[in-house]
Amino acid sequence: MAAERPRKRKRDQDEAIAKIKKGKEAKKKSAKKKKKHGSDDSDSDFDIMDLYKKAKKLPGQLENCELCEKRFTVTAYSKAGPNGGLLCTPCGKAMTKEAKATEKASKPVQRKGRRKLESNRLDGFTSRGARTLQQLCIEKLAKHAEDIDEFGEMPEAIMNRLSEIFSKKRAMNPTTFKLFLQPDREEVSIQESAYLETEDFDQIFAIVPGIKKLALRNCCQFKDVNVDYMIEKAKKLSDIQLLGANLVSDDKWTELFIARGPDLKSFKVEWLDAAFTDEVVQALVTFCPNLERLKLERCKHLGVEAIDAIARLENLQHLTLRFCKEVPRERLVNLIGNVGPNLETLCLENFVESDCEPTDVILEAIHTSCTNLSKFRFTENNVCTDEGYVNLFTDWSNPPLRYIDVNSTRDVDNANPDGPEEYTIGVGSAGFDAIMKHSGSNLQCINISSCRHIDHETFANIFDGEKQYPSLQEINLSFCPVVDTQVIAGIFRSCPKIQKVITFGCFEVKEVVVPRGVVLIGAPKAQDAIEQFGDVVMDFQKELQAEMAKAGGRIVPVRG
Amino acid sequence: MASDTKYVTLVSGDGYEFKILRSAACLSKTIKNSLDPTYGFRENEENRVVLKDINGVILEKICEYLYYNEKYADSKDVPDPDLPPELCLELLIAADYLDGELASFG
Repeated sequence: MAAERPRKRKRDQDEAIAKIKKGKEAKKKSAKKKKKHGSDDSDSDFDIMDLYKKAKKLPGQLENCELCEKRFTVTAYSKAGPNGGLLCTPCGKAMTKEAKATEKASKPVQRKGRRKLESNRLDGFTSRGARTLQQLCIEKLAKHAEDIDEFGEMPEAIMNRLSEIFSKKRAMNPTTFKLFLQPDREEVSIQESAYLETEDFDQIFAIVPGIKKLALRNCCQFKDVNVDYMIEKAKKLSDIQLLGANLVSDDKWTELFIARGPDLKSFKVEWLDAAFTDEVVQALVTFCPNLERLKLERCKHLGVEAIDAIARLENLQHLTLRFCKEVPRERLVNLIGNVGPNLETLCLENFVESDCEPTDVILEAIHTSCTNLSKFRFTENNVCTDEGYVNLFTDWSNPPLRYIDVNSTRDVDNANPDGPEEYTIGVGSAGFDAIMKHSGSNLQCINISSCRHIDHETFANIFDGEKQYPSLQEINLSFCPVVDTQVIAGIFRSCPKIQKVITFGCFEVKEVVVPRGVVLIGAPKAQDAIEQFGDVVMDFQKELQAEMAKAGGRIVPVRG
Repeated sequence: MASDTKYVTLVSGDGYEFKILRSAACLSKTIKNSLDPTYGFRENEENRVVLKDINGVILEKICEYLYYNEKYADSKDVPDPDLPPELCLELLIAADYLDGELASFG
């Protein structure tokens, strides 16, 4: 029978072609009639199997349904079954429904998978290799958040990670949120509390009275009554972080500071525009003299008096400020002079001055006062000159820094994009050189995006492949227009531990070979992909690998 | 010195035994250390690690994961393995205990 088939098939094929030709003529003749047939596809289909079938019934004739075998009247809308026959109306409907469902099911999954992949990539997640079992478990749990009754005993790190992923997946609601409240915990951090109601926040202090550290982000419904309850219940609280708690009044903030008093070690608030005035900060400083960490970002009412108040906090070790109002530079200088010597972290963001006279007094103050910094952020400033940065980092008694962010320090003037001629505003060639000379040996992360006065020669000199920056893991060079393929290649060679290089807006970065374990993000012309994961094991990496192999481990893929 | 066998045995708390490749088992720091000849534990002599706090169902999943991790160590865009949600919490704890490639976050 198998031998017979080819011959038969050939004959069938000839017949089919003849039929198609005939069909085409017929089509021309009766285009109108054809339209009525609609689903009838015998004349356009090449399927040879069709020829074994009986001629299809025309509308009005009777036919047995292919699936349920019931007799029914064929209409123009009758659907074709899986084997070419016709279907009765109920079967036809069921079939279209099914087809739609499968189509729906298959399409978005594909798209979602890809979207997720890209998103993960930009997060620096999936560079290579499998993800850890914990990560996989946590994501699965977030997907099934509603079905969990209890977490049981979990290490603090896992709890926090669960909270982060639940927040990211928008699974943090009044029900799932309770999973994170366990009586014996000391820390509650909810990254995304937007779904939580006022009553829910009370639960925190009712269930976890021993809480020491509270962190709530987007806690829009956190109100005065919650503060009252917190004061009453949480007697050990020493670490408070609230983002967007706009329903708490000035008086309640002050009451909180009085209640926690000297026990308060860390206080961080962001995005407050309804309340939280200078007087509140003054109260904070008066009643909580032991504060070690302070972060005030985007609090609309704060101004000079708050700065002066903070200057009285003698035990401060970490200070982050981002104000909305303009602050005279001499007050900032005074602040740095007072609290500077103990600081390990100093972040001054967006202290812009409308008076554009260049002046480096702030940097000078930092140079003389701060000798313990490990993290330094000074961004969006428009008055400090390149020379100021050189002076700051030259002969500075501060040990090499771990983290430096000086992004967007430049003069902003549309009419004069190159900045003033007589001096350079922001970190320029000399400043960058001084930074790397001072901190290169210990630097882990540096952000110099939008520092557009650093020239190519400086980059090429600093990252020449010979000089080594042994700790550098992450560098952001976005919108430094001179950065090109050579500079990037130099970075790969000069920084053995580099993991992430960000180059948005660097149009000179072209076909660059990214070494294994490194991710290059944003290079607009490098290739189509916005991000590249290195595949090539470069010579200088081979030595490293050999060493690691000796140490007995295998090369662990870099996780972002 | 019996430390160079290709396979080792992992024993669950309820007595199930899993014989898996040494290289895969050693992706877990805890298992790697207990098999390390320099420490001279009995585990090393017998090539057998008893994990009494982990039950058979979980250990089976762990073994699956270890092989999965080893298989995809060098590839990009790794497909996620299928984990039954009801086991995730226990797996999470077990992964924390076993450490190494299983623990720490991406």
